[in-house]
Amino acid sequence: MAGGNARGAGADTPVLEVSRYSLSYATPSVPVHALKNIDLRVTHGQTHGLVGESGSGKSSLAWAILRYLPENAIENDGRLLLSGENLRNRTHPQILEIRGRRISMVFQDPSTSLNPAMRLGEQLSEVLIRHRGLTLQEALEESEAALARTGIAKPGDMLRRYPHEASGGEKQRVVIATAFACNPELIVFDEPTTALDIITAQQILELFNQLQDETSISALYISHDLGLVSRVADVVSVINSGEIVESGPCAEVFRTPRNDYTKALLDAVPNPKQWLGVSEPPSEAPALMSAKGVTVEYGRQSLLGQLLAPKPTHLGAQKVSIEVRKGELVGLVGESGSGKSTMGKVLSGLQDFDGIVRFGDRDFARLAEIDRAYRRAVQIVFQHPDASLNPRQRVREILSRPLKLYDIVPREQRAERIAKLLEQVRLPREFADRLPHQLSGGEKQRVAIARAFAAEPELVICDEITASLDVSVQASVAELLVSLQRQTGTACLFITHDLNLVRQLAHRICVMQHGKLMDAFHRDDVEGPDRNPYTRALLKAVPPPASQAA
Amino acid sequence: MTLGYLVRRLLAVILVLFVVTFAVFAITMILPGNAAVMILGEYGTEEAVAAMERRLGLDRPWYVQYLDWIGGILRGDLGQSLRLSLPVADVVGDAFWNSASLAVTALVSVTVIAIPLGVLAAIKRGTVADLIIGVFSYIGASMPEFVTATLLLIFLAGPALGLFPAGGFVSPGESLGGFTSHVVLPAATLGLILTAHISRQVRSEMSEVLSSDYIRAARLKGLRERRVIRRHALPNSLAPAVAVISLDIGYLLGGIIVVEEIFAWPGLGRLLIYALENRDLPVIQAITLVLATVYALSNLLSDIVIAILDPRVRYA
Repeated sequence: MAGGNARGAGADTPVLEVSRYSLSYATPSVPVHALKNIDLRVTHGQTHGLVGESGSGKSSLAWAILRYLPENAIENDGRLLLSGENLRNRTHPQILEIRGRRISMVFQDPSTSLNPAMRLGEQLSEVLIRHRGLTLQEALEESEAALARTGIAKPGDMLRRYPHEASGGEKQRVVIATAFACNPELIVFDEPTTALDIITAQQILELFNQLQDETSISALYISHDLGLVSRVADVVSVINSGEIVESGPCAEVFRTPRNDYTKALLDAVPNPKQWLGVSEPPSEAPALMSAKGVTVEYGRQSLLGQLLAPKPTHLGAQKVSIEVRKGELVGLVGESGSGKSTMGKVLSGLQDFDGIVRFGDRDFARLAEIDRAYRRAVQIVFQHPDASLNPRQRVREILSRPLKLYDIVPREQRAERIAKLLEQVRLPREFADRLPHQLSGGEKQRVAIARAFAAEPELVICDEITASLDVSVQASVAELLVSLQRQTGTACLFITHDLNLVRQLAHRICVMQHGKLMDAFHRDDVEGPDRNPYTRALLKAVPPPASQAA
Repeated sequence: MTLGYLVRRLLAVILVLFVVTFAVFAITMILPGNAAVMILGEYGTEEAVAAMERRLGLDRPWYVQYLDWIGGILRGDLGQSLRLSLPVADVVGDAFWNSASLAVTALVSVTVIAIPLGVLAAIKRGTVADLIIGVFSYIGASMPEFVTATLLLIFLAGPALGLFPAGGFVSPGESLGGFTSHVVLPAATLGLILTAHISRQVRSEMSEVLSSDYIRAARLKGLRERRVIRRHALPNSLAPAVAVISLDIGYLLGGIIVVEEIFAWPGLGRLLIYALENRDLPVIQAITLVLATVYALSNLLSDIVIAILDPRVRYA
């Protein structure tokens, strides 16, 4: 699958050779080490995957190669060779000649890396004008051809558009076409699919492999996602805390990892074949919560607003029906904008709706009917613990809020209960005195989970709770959720875009697209013949990583 | 930016103007005394005042006076000044052009100076140049006009230097040199605070844009710094600055009243003060209408400019 066509021509000089390179950043106190003694080679036509979690230094290496370092960067005398030339000896004007022409870059998020006030055509053609001395007319013609190669149907139209008039996938194709435009020796890809939808990401990945095969340009492919790297790279290096801990041919590293960190990373990649969840409640178990024909309309305007500047309303959810039984974990899967988070908000009592939400033996027909008892019984955990934990409150205050609000335990037992909650989410009880910024991302998410469980709920809604976490932390958070479910018997609605993860946890899976429920099935029927085509497309877009395929 | 949008905005402007004139009319009705009393002075007999009121039409109910005035406006007739016995259109028209020449001079020089200053400060962030511009902005923004005006008068128009006349007006048609020497001090007074304000705004917008992902992407394409700044950064940081400039026009229209009084500039500000002192209602109304129209239209214009600079706004 990977574009493994490393050719013999000029293979004796690697396109990129990093040797004994170290980098740190000066801070008012002590220097922070970002990279230690890095050795890395990318040969002609090769795709080299660089895998690491956030803060591992993988992006610092990209900035170092492109000579785009902040002023407080301190480098050792290690070498950064581009086809044998040491980039570190080059003057700034020489570097400007190299950037975009001999090394180019594809960024994570096309919606921020494209200038909102310039037409896409100008942003693409300006590298051709700059580096190949073309006239505007020639550059635009060449841009159109370059864009056509990335599979855009009407490249001429696309060139005249502004970034906000194009979809995420189209924008990333423009960025990729720009990177390939001057036929560089090396392209650095920095998580080029992370900000895209699952299916779009899959298409971009296919495009990457296709262009790589056509042009045999060398690539340094930076990602946190091992599964993804296994599908594009010939050689992979694993980086942890600024050091490359393991490096080798992709298939080999994935099949027989030698380093413990690599092993841990590989183990953390969700494997749909490996069941983590709690045992399934009996099928005759009564429904705990059922939503019937829930519709949410966004953008309703006041009468005056309609008169002055009428805008169309937009349906966030359209007649969606979902059921969760006692003790069950239901997965709600969809891409961004599919309405899955809208449903999460409706069911946690944050969003007005039309339709019926039945909880136990009570019916609720709109937001105003949702009462205190419901709010206690249904808790929500959000994607970003940074935004959902009050930065000025200590963990103790955060956790005592629901205890006080719903009068869960008498005042004198609160401290004891907080300690117990922390223990349940596997945090030391001393953490009660900490402020959110003194915790890591995974620890913060554990606190948010503890807060949800503090109210002794019957249903917990998890809205992408693992999406902002590193792979290794994701797995432990998912596992924690399951163990809490096992202890308390709480039901769970697990909202996610990660099909592989949800298949490890959920008894039943619901799929949403464009605000509609497309599919709902038992986990045993994932490959059943009556699956919706959209579900199939999603499943196809996220094959399990190479190491697990066998 | 559709035609429908423009039509809606213009309708909104007319609605605002209507509300403004009504409010001004109501306020002048509440004020003690009227033009008849002012013309005749403290010692006018009751009969004389009543006769004068009848002659000026002030004895009619307020709504009749208002509708009469509005009807006149719609026919293009602003009425007669009660005190000067001249058509309001002539009196206000002359003053308007005088004020406009001052305001436009101030605004253009502010824009020409403030935007490059702000850009420079952002590019040279953390250097001495940035510091100097920052300090100047703080001082400029914290001085009220009468202090600036006094300082300028003492140092530049005082007996020591006497570079510029201390007050008065020469129309640009009459003598461009004369106009220029007279306009420098009032325009500088009006402009100082605005320059400070706008350059700070541009600096903060520009700094933010310069640290954005797309500027990094532009630099990593190997583009020269000049193109990165002019083509990539500047248009994105100007749109918010234009919004601030259009808000500052409101401030400018207020400041002009003070500055014209200090420098004896025969514009709308001086005329307004005279009309208020004499309860010359048609003149007060006409000036208010002109100022409100200028403000509303400049806001509309700035929205159009912003839409040109930032294509994301265009579909409004």
